[in-house]
Amino acid sequence: MMQWRVLLQKEWRDHVRNLKILWIPIVFVLYGIMQPVMFYYMEDIMKAVGNMPEGVDMGITDMTSADVMASTVGQFHLIVALIVILSFMGVISKERKNRTAALLYVRPISFSAYYLSKLSGATIVALLSTVLGLLASFYYTMILYDEMDVWKCAALIGTYSLWVLFVVTVTLTASAVFSTGVAGTLAFLLTYFMQLIDSIIGQFWTVSPWKLGTYAITWLVAEPDSSDFWLSVVVTVIAILLLVIIGIWGTRKNVENIKI
Amino acid sequence: MSQLLQVSALQKNYGQHEVIKNISFELKKGTATALIGTNGAGKTTILSMLAGLLKPTSGQIQHEGIVGDPRAAIGFLPQYPQFNTWLTASEFLIMAAQLNGLPAKVAKDESEKLLQFVGLKDAANKKIGTFSGGMKQRLGLAQAIIHKPKLLLLDEPVSALDPAGRLDMMHLMKSLQKEMTILYSTHILNDAEQMTDQLLFLKDGHLVEQGSLQDVKAKYEHHQIVVEFKEKVEAARFVESSTLSAEQQGAVVTLQIATMQQVIQELAKGDFAIRKVEQQSASLEEIFMKVANG
Repeated sequence: MMQWRVLLQKEWRDHVRNLKILWIPIVFVLYGIMQPVMFYYMEDIMKAVGNMPEGVDMGITDMTSADVMASTVGQFHLIVALIVILSFMGVISKERKNRTAALLYVRPISFSAYYLSKLSGATIVALLSTVLGLLASFYYTMILYDEMDVWKCAALIGTYSLWVLFVVTVTLTASAVFSTGVAGTLAFLLTYFMQLIDSIIGQFWTVSPWKLGTYAITWLVAEPDSSDFWLSVVVTVIAILLLVIIGIWGTRKNVENIKI
Repeated sequence: MSQLLQVSALQKNYGQHEVIKNISFELKKGTATALIGTNGAGKTTILSMLAGLLKPTSGQIQHEGIVGDPRAAIGFLPQYPQFNTWLTASEFLIMAAQLNGLPAKVAKDESEKLLQFVGLKDAANKKIGTFSGGMKQRLGLAQAIIHKPKLLLLDEPVSALDPAGRLDMMHLMKSLQKEMTILYSTHILNDAEQMTDQLLFLKDGHLVEQGSLQDVKAKYEHHQIVVEFKEKVEAARFVESSTLSAEQQGAVVTLQIATMQQVIQELAKGDFAIRKVEQQSASLEEIFMKVANG
């Protein structure tokens, strides 16, 4: 526990001094705000740009706050995964490559403390950014459109946070097992590609981590199918635990790959 | 002197390639051992295995009197230590100490003492990214000894330093010799000669020679006697008249197989004008060349 705390402190200093704790939340918040504001002012923007045929009604002003949030979360889905993968794909592999890990591995540290400190540091930054981004989006949606049920918002944030935790774990485990380039590609495939597959032929199954984004949006209009939703949560938690075990194994296995 | 480390039949293979071949040696407590070899001889591989960064393919590394994880009793300084450059020297040392199990307060006190010891007190709160190579090497030494290890492993600790830095580092290492057992690799043989109880000569992954500095020197001693004459003609006259095997180079004559008494007798016969007579023993460098060439 002490080792995990000491290593997490190091991770925290990394995120603070390399400004990850600043720029990732800022990007997420700006992205969260952009969607409701864009929708609200879209007609004005289009009119200002010109070339709109006479009498065209885009119907954007008729959107409900749930529609706006659903659209925001849909867009968020792409940017969150991309930024998380790009920010954290080298967290473990780069320390191996630049040999800074050597001065840690020669101490009696446990590899689980090492991996979990990395996971905790990345999760704090990613979840903080996600929650702030979604809260900013809710705030502007409620100001510009209509009120929303706070509990539904909380359910959406909770569900979505689990998806983000899954993406962070996939990225860190890939980084523990593979080199940075391979880790980034693999994490990208396991999030984007699987998401794509899920959106194309996902009607044949109802339980998977890649369904969490859809379930998160469903909270806004109605409750998701209880058994499918909870089964997806359980499957995601099990997948995260398995990924953690693989990540710790990969970290230990790759000690030999540090060329001092 | 009791034993601290016993290495038996150590072997490291990468696929079919044998990097370390059946090496055995032991380290006694409180001694300094130099691991000598050309580049690529396997010095770093041996140190990495002892530090726990590499697993031996076969063989045994036994740490005497160490219970639990042997890494707790080992300090390691790689040839080019790499740090998280955004940490300060003080933060890095405190982290290193805490990872070795020292409580936070003790870790802070020890880090302050060690920064003073390695001459980095004024740079304690500077980011490591701003450090020179010599400063990084000294910080590397500090992180290796902050937990007072029983065994200190140093990989080419001075090879990347300028002469002043080398002198500083050797001085620091010598002062540590009283407190811990040191195994260091080097190809700078002058340094090895200054601080060595035991020598391990490594060639292509084989341990080709080992023993105390005195033993190894005695084994390869060749007692060369050098006579410097006042003039070249005097040297030529000596070589002509002498019954000893001699080699002339200008006014200097080198006698390979001879005792000092024999040379003095020969010189006394001819009333030669000489500047000096000197007995030279083999330097570590010459021994290394002999061992390396086989």
